Amino acid sequence: MSTRILTEFELLTPNTIPEALSILNEFRDNVIPIAGGTDVLVAMKFGFSTEYAMSISAIPDLDYLSFDPNKGLRIGANATISQILDSKAVKQHYPALWQSAKIFATPQIRNSATLIGNLLRASPAGDCSCAVYALGGSIVLVSQQGEREVDIDDLWISYQNTERRSDELAIELRIPAPEPAGRSAFKRLTRVNEDLAKLNVAVNLVMDGDKCTHARLAMGCVAPTPLRLRATEKLLIGQTLDGSVLKRVMASVKEEINPIDDQRSTAEYRKSVSGVFLRRAIEQACDIS
Amino acid sequence: MKKHSISLQVNGAVHEITIQPNKTLLDVLRDELNMPETKYGCGTGECGACTVLVDDQKVINSCLTLAATMDGKSITTAAGLQTAEGTLHPVQEAFVENAAVQCGYCTPGMVLKSVGLLKKNPNPSEDEIREWLEGNICRCTGYEKIVTAVQLAGKKIAQADG
Repeated sequence: MSTRILTEFELLTPNTIPEALSILNEFRDNVIPIAGGTDVLVAMKFGFSTEYAMSISAIPDLDYLSFDPNKGLRIGANATISQILDSKAVKQHYPALWQSAKIFATPQIRNSATLIGNLLRASPAGDCSCAVYALGGSIVLVSQQGEREVDIDDLWISYQNTERRSDELAIELRIPAPEPAGRSAFKRLTRVNEDLAKLNVAVNLVMDGDKCTHARLAMGCVAPTPLRLRATEKLLIGQTLDGSVLKRVMASVKEEINPIDDQRSTAEYRKSVSGVFLRRAIEQACDIS
Repeated sequence: MKKHSISLQVNGAVHEITIQPNKTLLDVLRDELNMPETKYGCGTGECGACTVLVDDQKVINSCLTLAATMDGKSITTAAGLQTAEGTLHPVQEAFVENAAVQCGYCTPGMVLKSVGLLKKNPNPSEDEIREWLEGNICRCTGYEKIVTAVQLAGKKIAQADG
């Protein structure tokens, strides 16, 4: 039973990245980093306890979102979901990410919650996580030992576990430059709008005329982490996206996902709708109706 | 727990306060500063009763914000919207004129959320209002009048700026 009262902890508020790295190096698994706090505080109110919490919100210059047509998108650790939504570049070049930000939680949460926080939470239901997975990219992790870049494909290890070591701080997300013939879309299924997803899907395709030359497909709420549909992707490459191809794609998704029954939906339902949901996302990306 | 000293501006007045790190902004407003107009609803960022305006710009859930991380910020609560002479904010006027209040518990959050919308989008459509008010729950279910009030408030602000 939750009291919804925050238990006791020490709060550390570094003003620079080196200070933050020193704190992480000292306290390791005993400190939880907080950016927007919209997930961590809820967890704390429901029984998660920590000896130390480190807020990174006072570190300046981490709230950037910058787009360069050649280098792609760079998003700092304090950049909020609202910033994604307010970005014309994201809307134009990364529609899947923009669409996932648009339906993300509520305006208040979007004003506090960060994109990197959503990725690091490692929830299988993260809407922006699903979109970023389909778009591809990497997370920059820094520690006192140096800096490394982890591919988004390698970020999520298991439910709520990531590749980040406890002495590392995630400071930036990098998403590659958009392909001129690239198309992406995101879709989510919920009971009511404000609820967490019972299923979400994002697609990122490169088209050469009618033919698909590159595909990344991601689905959420169907495995312990967001899931890339690698077998299904192969069915799209080199193909014209006609009815028979889409039929094979729909059949393949069901085999690739591994959903469970929980309070939001059942495994059976998720399997039943996964194919049609993916097809609709592909149609949305390619303006097929 | 080591206490934190912060400077918090609330409705124009600066407060130098020393607080426990596990206090939310909502705890501080209600219990330390004795400003109960900001309401506690769910405590988990779903109902919007605790909504406040930060730096005259963005609305947040004060129940999910650690007060110690708000050093130097300027907070507006529903009681801070009126002028020093006591003239209501156009959004407050519109809520009164439209009777967009039933039990009143969600009202401070609804009003601040609406102020936040009109700052971004002075002339929102009904759909935009409904979408923006997601995250603010009225359990009397008086949404129709609230939506009309926000539309009216937009017109009032446009006229005043005229």
